[in-house]
Amino acid sequence: MVSSMAEGLIYDIKLSSVGPGTVTEPDMVHEPSDMDLAMKLHYLKVIYYFGKQAFEGLTTLKIKEPLFMVLNYFPVICGRFRRAESGRPYIKCNDCGVRFIEAKCEKTMDEWLEMTKENASLEKYLTPNQIIGPELGFSPTVLLQFTKFKCGGMSMGLSWAHVLGDAFSAAEFLNLLGKVVAGEKPNRPINLAHLKTNSTNPESPLTNTEDPLSVKRVGPVGDIWIPVNNCKMEAFSFSVNATQLSHLQSKISNNGTDFSPFEALSAVIWQCIGKIRPESEPKVVTICKMMEQNRADGNNLLISVVKAAYPIVEANPSELAALMKNAAIDKIEKIENAIEKDNGVSDFIVYGGNLTFANLEEAKFYEIDYRGEKPIYVSYRVDGVGDEGAVLVLPGPPKNGGRTVMAILPENEATELKSELKKWFMD
Amino acid sequence: MPQILPNFLSSVKLKYVKLGYQYLVNHILTFFLIPIMVGILVEILRLGPEEMLNIWRSLHFDLVQVLCSSFLIIFIATVYFMSKPRSIYLVEYACYKPPITCRVPFSTFMEHSRLILKENPKSVDFQMRILERSGLGEETCLPPAIHYIPPTPTMEAARGEAEQVIFSAIGSLMEKTKIKPKDIDILIVNCSLFSPTPSLSAMVVNKYKLRSNIKSYNLSGMGCSAGLISIDLARDLLQVHPNSYALVVSTEIITPNYYQGSERAMLLPNCLFRMGGAAILLSNKRRDRRRAKYRLVHVVRTHKGADDKAYKCVYEQEDPQGKVGINLSKDLMVIAGEALKSNITTIGPLVLPASEQLLFLFTLIGRKIFNPKWKPYIPDFKQAFEHFCIHAGGRAVIDELQKNLQLSAEHVEASRMTLHRFGNTSSSSLWYELGYIEAKGRMKKGDRIWQIAFGSGFKCNSAVWKCNRTVRTPTDGPWQDCIDRYPVHIPEIVKL
Repeated sequence: MVSSMAEGLIYDIKLSSVGPGTVTEPDMVHEPSDMDLAMKLHYLKVIYYFGKQAFEGLTTLKIKEPLFMVLNYFPVICGRFRRAESGRPYIKCNDCGVRFIEAKCEKTMDEWLEMTKENASLEKYLTPNQIIGPELGFSPTVLLQFTKFKCGGMSMGLSWAHVLGDAFSAAEFLNLLGKVVAGEKPNRPINLAHLKTNSTNPESPLTNTEDPLSVKRVGPVGDIWIPVNNCKMEAFSFSVNATQLSHLQSKISNNGTDFSPFEALSAVIWQCIGKIRPESEPKVVTICKMMEQNRADGNNLLISVVKAAYPIVEANPSELAALMKNAAIDKIEKIENAIEKDNGVSDFIVYGGNLTFANLEEAKFYEIDYRGEKPIYVSYRVDGVGDEGAVLVLPGPPKNGGRTVMAILPENEATELKSELKKWFMD
Repeated sequence: MPQILPNFLSSVKLKYVKLGYQYLVNHILTFFLIPIMVGILVEILRLGPEEMLNIWRSLHFDLVQVLCSSFLIIFIATVYFMSKPRSIYLVEYACYKPPITCRVPFSTFMEHSRLILKENPKSVDFQMRILERSGLGEETCLPPAIHYIPPTPTMEAARGEAEQVIFSAIGSLMEKTKIKPKDIDILIVNCSLFSPTPSLSAMVVNKYKLRSNIKSYNLSGMGCSAGLISIDLARDLLQVHPNSYALVVSTEIITPNYYQGSERAMLLPNCLFRMGGAAILLSNKRRDRRRAKYRLVHVVRTHKGADDKAYKCVYEQEDPQGKVGINLSKDLMVIAGEALKSNITTIGPLVLPASEQLLFLFTLIGRKIFNPKWKPYIPDFKQAFEHFCIHAGGRAVIDELQKNLQLSAEHVEASRMTLHRFGNTSSSSLWYELGYIEAKGRMKKGDRIWQIAFGSGFKCNSAVWKCNRTVRTPTDGPWQDCIDRYPVHIPEIVKL
């Protein structure tokens, strides 16, 4: 039903590529870290909705020009994957570029935002959905779709392979684009890639440790980088404004311990999901947070696992929130060991291995401005989530000050969860 | 050891003998005249002034005879100067530099090819092999319409490309020469594969508001050698019209000619042809003698179209699916070699020094009379020219000419580096090559340049220029930001 409805919605689709304006030195490569490779089956999808003024009067070439300039600083995202002799993937920085898609929508932006409130799945038509594979060497890792609405507004849909970096990296890329459009020069060194090192075997002998709970090994997917789901996953989102949020926080807070918006929301949703999954209660959840300081290139995730000793349905959300607050962060070496066991060839998922809660409150999505215009709304989701599902807590539009929650769950759970959540936010 | 020594000695001896021979033959007039002048001078000194006056009086000249003789001399001199062809000067030229938004790296080209030719993996592999060996670099440019998957070659896009390339080159030229549009008397535009109505020359007249009595011409369909044909036409027109400026614009518009099918012989141009254009200002005005960069010495055109194989070797046609493309036959290099031989045979006597011509004559007579097995003597054109601009049609063309004319790597450097940086820009590639030589600071006053171009038909055209004043390294132009990186080593096969 949705697909036939959407076929006419988005039309006049044109594909091209945009690469760096200057030549990258030959034989430059980027070798993803173990953490990066753990995330390779996931894709970040961000949609920035801009009003009419941001892109008024701009031809396609004028939109592409700053991209050519900003990509000079990102030779890695313009490259393509190859496999080393050991089978470990690496990126050859060959200037191939990002895919650039132009499209038109027959609705106005307001109509569209109304439609997606009911049905967030529609947003997949505003982001490119190409995955990496089956030919690694010819699959773009970053794709951009510019969709023009009937009213003149424009949406900028980014598909960013998680192996390149986390939400902060993706936001940094787009924010830099906004800066280049404004005529500023990015404050970033050009060459973050390096010449290919000969593959060295790791010095420390790997002990045969168990995989950590946070990272789930999945069956080999070969060169088609998307996890195989047993059920269709659906995304839905809801907004919580500032008053509702503080109301919720006060409801949950216990003996003077205050919980952050993320902890409060996650605890509530954890319990609701527990209620709708009586046979397979999510006793174990993964919590994901991005590092803000001292970031290296690529994924800088702080992952922890929380185990509930008792049934979720009976638990008090405050207790769940306390568990989350005190969760110990997994040592990165544990995760790295799991991946290094066979030199990065195996396939893993993080989102959806267990029910995953991602704290993206501090992500700088609303910092971008394109020709002086801020986005009206930013929508963010992750594709390639495993069967257990994922809940992402995102910053709300700056005017509201609240939060946006995007839940990616098996499709039959969406309606039930919505009714459960209504109970929390009605009063 | 002893075997090597005689070889060395003999080769050294041979070198000096050759040098001596060349010096003698090339300056033979001087060698004859000097003894005669010395003899006369000695005789005069011996006779003394009174004896000279006596000899003069004994000739019995009277006024009428003197006047008639002087009038005769003046008359002959006038006829000589009037019938001498006007000198044609190249005041300045400008080449188009494509913007970075048009850049096409190898990897992008191949990825797009794979997506467009999904059903023909063999054709995709063929294109990859061509690209690896093509000699092109990662900075060549294609027009915006060709960047789409699949390409969108509309007429509007083609006009857009033409406007962008031509107006940019002309604008740059006008800025350099400070010439006003109203001063242009002759306009020649050549673009082989895009010929709209109104013509591209009309487009230029419209944009720059040129005079209504301008002599404008538009040459289309004449292939990659059309640039020199335009120069030849401009030269002839400048003989007829005194005191004029001629603006010549050479370009090739890629947008409408991108082959969309999968026949291998027709995919080759897609891999090689790239965006480019040049605008050249020629003049026959006396005052440009000082400021002009070059003087046109010869233009030699050779047309092999009478031969059927030569005529069909670069042929535009429809493939079995009805898609139009340019078919390059397998005999292309052989035919090019023959066309070159014809052209050299005509241009040789015009430019080669007497020593080379004599040697060639002797070996020719020798082969006919004494022994047909003698190797034909290939004249050494390096003695006739300091710089060579070989049309960057493809790596094979440059290799072939380097071999046939026995040129060193430095002589063909301009051609190879132009092919690497800009690809095959068709008729304008000669001007990019000239720009390279100037940007490297190698152009000195008195240097002679040979421009050779090949094109469909099959034609081989040459132009010979002489540098009028030492050219200072330009601060603008298409090579300005990358000349320091050149020359680069171009591997036989690039690893994609």
